[in-house]
Amino acid sequence: MMIAAIPVMAPALTGIALVFWRRPGTARRLVAGFSTLLQLAFAVWLVGHITRDGPVLMVAGGWSPAFGIALVVDPLSALMLALSAVTTCACVVLGFAEQSVRFEHPLRLPLLLLLVAGTNLAFVTADLFNLFVAFEVVLVGSTALLTLEADDWEVKHAFPYLAMNQFGSALFLVAAALAYGLFGTLNFAALAERANSLAGDPRLTALALLLLVVFGLKAGLFPLHYWLPNSYPTLPSPLGALYAALLTKVGIYALIRVYGTVLPADPVVQTALLWIAGATLIVGVLGALARDYVRGILALLLTQVGFIVMAVGFAGTYAFTAAIYYLIHHVLAMAALFMINGALILLAGTDRLSRCANLWRAAPALGVLFLLQAMSLAGMPPFSGFWGKYMILVRGLERGATTLVVVALLTSLLTMLIAIDIWNRAFWRERADTVLRRDDGRWKRVAAVAGGFTLLSLSVGLQPELPLRLATQAATFVLDRSDYIAFGKREATP
Amino acid sequence: MPLETALLAGLLFGFACYLFLQRSFVRILFGFVLLGQAANIAVLAMSGAPDGKGSPIVGGAGGPMVDPLPQALILTAIVIGLGVNSYLVVLMYRIFLDERTTRVDRTFRPRGPKPERS
Repeated sequence: MMIAAIPVMAPALTGIALVFWRRPGTARRLVAGFSTLLQLAFAVWLVGHITRDGPVLMVAGGWSPAFGIALVVDPLSALMLALSAVTTCACVVLGFAEQSVRFEHPLRLPLLLLLVAGTNLAFVTADLFNLFVAFEVVLVGSTALLTLEADDWEVKHAFPYLAMNQFGSALFLVAAALAYGLFGTLNFAALAERANSLAGDPRLTALALLLLVVFGLKAGLFPLHYWLPNSYPTLPSPLGALYAALLTKVGIYALIRVYGTVLPADPVVQTALLWIAGATLIVGVLGALARDYVRGILALLLTQVGFIVMAVGFAGTYAFTAAIYYLIHHVLAMAALFMINGALILLAGTDRLSRCANLWRAAPALGVLFLLQAMSLAGMPPFSGFWGKYMILVRGLERGATTLVVVALLTSLLTMLIAIDIWNRAFWRERADTVLRRDDGRWKRVAAVAGGFTLLSLSVGLQPELPLRLATQAATFVLDRSDYIAFGKREATP
Repeated sequence: MPLETALLAGLLFGFACYLFLQRSFVRILFGFVLLGQAANIAVLAMSGAPDGKGSPIVGGAGGPMVDPLPQALILTAIVIGLGVNSYLVVLMYRIFLDERTTRVDRTFRPRGPKPERS
């Protein structure tokens, strides 16, 4: 079925078309905005279609699934595609609101769309080598965007980003080679089938641990996260929101997919996941506590994906449901916070907390949105962060991982402290010598886009039934390995 | 994996890691080139020992062929690696032009957030 390829092809083709349409202008923006809007509509339809009629398999070129490049859209992929489409649409519109068309770099939109094509390819692919290719497309696109409008201070920080990720890619290639050597195939369904007979073999554990290094690096997990906190703050806020929402989540998605579906549960890997998750949470939040500029703090709070890793380590359908629900929450919440921060930068002229003040009088609505969204990230009860963390920690207590639960709660408490600190200094504090740039009207437009997106993000917590139902369905299919094997072996319908 | 191929891949990985840990951009770059070669050799070794097998060409000599799939994978990996490595060269050159040094440890000073113009 062709519909599996559309989420990849649509942004890629739009991006390529925009490369040749060199002059930025209103018509070009309309085309790009309309394209992302159509992709969003398609992604929402796809979620409905997949949850109702079951997953879709497509093998490129009509090969049999064992040899061809297989694309599978199952409930988890559809969910990730929808999240990717909604943040892309919001970030593109936010970019229009933030930057006058005269100052737009002609390559920003094409590269952004090619980057999204890469992330979408990672979400639909059902082949380990193709996943490597998707990672490389994402890496090339994101590095190009990172350096596109960078000055000499910012361009330096693209180097650790590119270097670390390229190192990870080389390791991924070796892991793919190991998988091919062990199983003679790279297709997820075939790998899952043949890995069943090898369960408990140390070579399988070695492969799983090597993949853990690769995905952990891409997801920004503890010992390998240091490329992240200095590179993301150099981005303009619309791109920062997109990166925060999507890029490290590609690694997280790969973790869920590979340890849920492809490889059988392995106690060594699960223990490693739990240790890494705890270390990531506490190191990330302590780093954020020590920083005084909002973008830097938010970039380090991306390490809260540790909650998802923890849930993957706990295993079981309940934990995976919690992981996927928390993934939805985290994508939307981080993008919303970066967007609100975009409005804050425009209004205050800086996001350095030592120099921000007086924002509450100028923009009370922005302050309320920030506070609600930050409370949601910290895990206050009516919001989405709470439900996700609650489910994960309940599973942790059932498993008897008390220390880890305490670390996670401490992290949430410190996140709350950070949120209140930002709120107190940037919004609540009044200082006579701090002047706001009220005459620059752009902040209102940016705040409007950010506000709309924040309301969407908050609704995930206030109306948790629908996201939870989607997460349950996704987790059930991800963990049902025999079903996935049977599905993957089925000959593709043309 | 044949023993000599395994040793070669391991040796290349070792050299690559040694070069990564140097302070000069040029050496780090060579580290990346070597790393790509090491990974490619690891993939190539997965098609097994080539003893007496023909090359995987349709209409060739006939008889047993080596497994063509790893070679297809390497081809893709080489193309991607070339692209990313050339981007890395340009990025390093840009940093060299800005900072007038190829020493990594001197490049990232001062640490911390971007200094603001007053």
